[in-house]
Amino acid sequence: MSQIFASQKFRRTALQGGFILAVVALVASVILVGKSNIADQGMATGFGFLEQTTGWPVNFSIIEVTGRSTYARVLWAGLLNTMLVGFLTLIFATVLGLLLALMRVSSNTLMKLVGTSYVEVFRNVPVILQVFFWYAILTHLPSPKQAYTLGEAFYLSNRGIMMPAPALSGSDVVWLFAAVVLAVVYLVLTRERPRSGPRWAIAIGLTFIVFLFVLLTGREPDTGLISVPELKGLRFVGGLTLKPEFTALLVGLTLFGASYIGEIIRGGLLSVDRGKLEAGRALGFSTFQINRLIRVPLAFRAMLPSLTNQYIWLMKGTTVGIAVGYPDYFAIVSTSINQSGQTMELLALLMGGFILINYSIGFLMNMLNERIKLKGRS
Amino acid sequence: MKTKFTNLLMAGALALGSASAVQAQDQGLLDTIIERDSLLCTGHNGSYLGFAEVDGAGEWQGFDIEFCKALATAILGSPDKLQIIPVSWAQRFPAIQSGDIDVIIKVTGWTMTRDTELGLQYSRPYFIGPFYVMSKTELEAEGIADLEGGVFCVNSGTTVERVLTDYMETNGIDYEPLAFEKGEELRAAFYAGRCDAIAGFGPFLSATRVNADNPDDFEILGDVLALEPEGIVVKQGEDDLLDVINWMVSALLMAEENGVTQANVDEMRANPPTASVGRLLGSTPGVGARLGLSDDWAYNVIKTVGNYGEIYDRTVGEGSRYQLPRGLNNLWNNGGLLYPLVLD
Repeated sequence: MSQIFASQKFRRTALQGGFILAVVALVASVILVGKSNIADQGMATGFGFLEQTTGWPVNFSIIEVTGRSTYARVLWAGLLNTMLVGFLTLIFATVLGLLLALMRVSSNTLMKLVGTSYVEVFRNVPVILQVFFWYAILTHLPSPKQAYTLGEAFYLSNRGIMMPAPALSGSDVVWLFAAVVLAVVYLVLTRERPRSGPRWAIAIGLTFIVFLFVLLTGREPDTGLISVPELKGLRFVGGLTLKPEFTALLVGLTLFGASYIGEIIRGGLLSVDRGKLEAGRALGFSTFQINRLIRVPLAFRAMLPSLTNQYIWLMKGTTVGIAVGYPDYFAIVSTSINQSGQTMELLALLMGGFILINYSIGFLMNMLNERIKLKGRS
Repeated sequence: MKTKFTNLLMAGALALGSASAVQAQDQGLLDTIIERDSLLCTGHNGSYLGFAEVDGAGEWQGFDIEFCKALATAILGSPDKLQIIPVSWAQRFPAIQSGDIDVIIKVTGWTMTRDTELGLQYSRPYFIGPFYVMSKTELEAEGIADLEGGVFCVNSGTTVERVLTDYMETNGIDYEPLAFEKGEELRAAFYAGRCDAIAGFGPFLSATRVNADNPDDFEILGDVLALEPEGIVVKQGEDDLLDVINWMVSALLMAEENGVTQANVDEMRANPPTASVGRLLGSTPGVGARLGLSDDWAYNVIKTVGNYGEIYDRTVGEGSRYQLPRGLNNLWNNGGLLYPLVLD
């Protein structure tokens, strides 16, 4: 017996096990006390309300949502809205950030000046003000009847930006998305093959064929291949509409995020040791080769951790959508709290949703980091 | 000396944390308010025009604020003992459950969920709120059906959201909903033309119209979406406080019914025209003790804020810039729905 206690391994395990037990007990007691307190106040608890219908509509969602949808579905729609605007922001902000970084490290004075002023302006104004600013501009455009138009196909009004779009239904989009995923998987699986020409052609061709197929089969009868927006009464029917709430949030977050991402990328580019670049030049590499093979890989490695932080920050930044009426996850949860009164449960769902999204981003980025970091160093 | 001792006791109890909660629960919220000598009532995070707004001097004004003042006066004898806690629409229920506020006077519709699942208790309605739709005059809509396909803006998390959804579904009108968290943003979006119409509570629409650069650009349509009785809310089980609230509302209505005003209340108290007015104003005892208050509480209330009609006129009615008609909020003998209880 005393031998067991003498074992350092046992003592350590017991200590850790005891600690975990204590934490679990603490969390459990907090939940139980909270639950009994809420019950004392005569309030309903639990997640049963998720099955109830909401009775209120949602302005914008990828999936179909009405006043007869359940709370579970409406919350899911909110989470999708957050992911939609969040991931689009990450993509656009990264592209714009890269451009800014290249401008700032270039030797051209004008480019440097433009890049620097951009970063100083957009980095120093709070993101919520920027979103308000873009929203105010978008909502002060003319009404649908006096909308600006480009060839009767594109319209710009205070109802948003309307543009022609392929006449796809919701299920068509799902098929198309599946095809794109398949194509990407194919590309990843075949990446070790030496000849790269045909596999790109195959991937793109496959996606295009599926696109054509759903476009030709999935349409309602007597409608064109391209749906063009047209004014009917108070609104535009057909085509694709980018609503002001969505656009303002996307533009605001993108421009704000790009200034930070630009600085992170610039920092990464500048962190590359001059000697390595000179070594490349000495070996006779062209500027493109130096950038492609030496500078970018090394810079990427340096900036990935801060970039991960920034991505997660931007994802959380989508919550300013509530200020301009964009029904993101936070806004939907907030409304649900008010309508159903299930505050604790909904706050738990809110936190859970953001942890899920942001942990996934962090996980993917860390995986990437793991792959590209210098082997043999921690 | 006694109060000092009680304070000390309270401080000790507070230090014990949970013990104080138990004590507070045992003694009832009304006693807690009297002991604390201040009433924690709801304000608004921003302005809900006509009902809870901050004026140029930084003072809270409005219909709901007057009721907060009336309640503070009834319980504590002075409107100065009122503390307005600004809370958003969404915060009001968690805030009352956690004890950050004693009472919700914030045009709160009486719904079954709130009454049962949220563990709240409603007073008799102190305001009858009709829901209307307001649209731009240039759209020349005569009714809501003429706005088919339009964008309807609402405040998110309020009953309006449900009321509008129900109405549109019942009448088969297709529309695009758009919800805003704050009244200011909703209003700005409407003025800018992002919405063809806003649905809302009559008083809110009226205030929105008055605040526009040109009020004639907007008109409230005749169709009534629904009607919502607004009550004053306390936590479930605070019966003593709820009694005071109900009789306070009744006193304000009874005063109006009997022609007792802020100006003539002293005279009325000295020479009550009827026995029941005498009881109301404490000329003859009885009105106070049964509620655990002083006999002159109703007198103090009327002296401080006036009768129901005076409050209404001053904050949202004819005497205010909102010019909201009395309508259903008139006394029963003037074509309205309000009536005092029987003071025997």
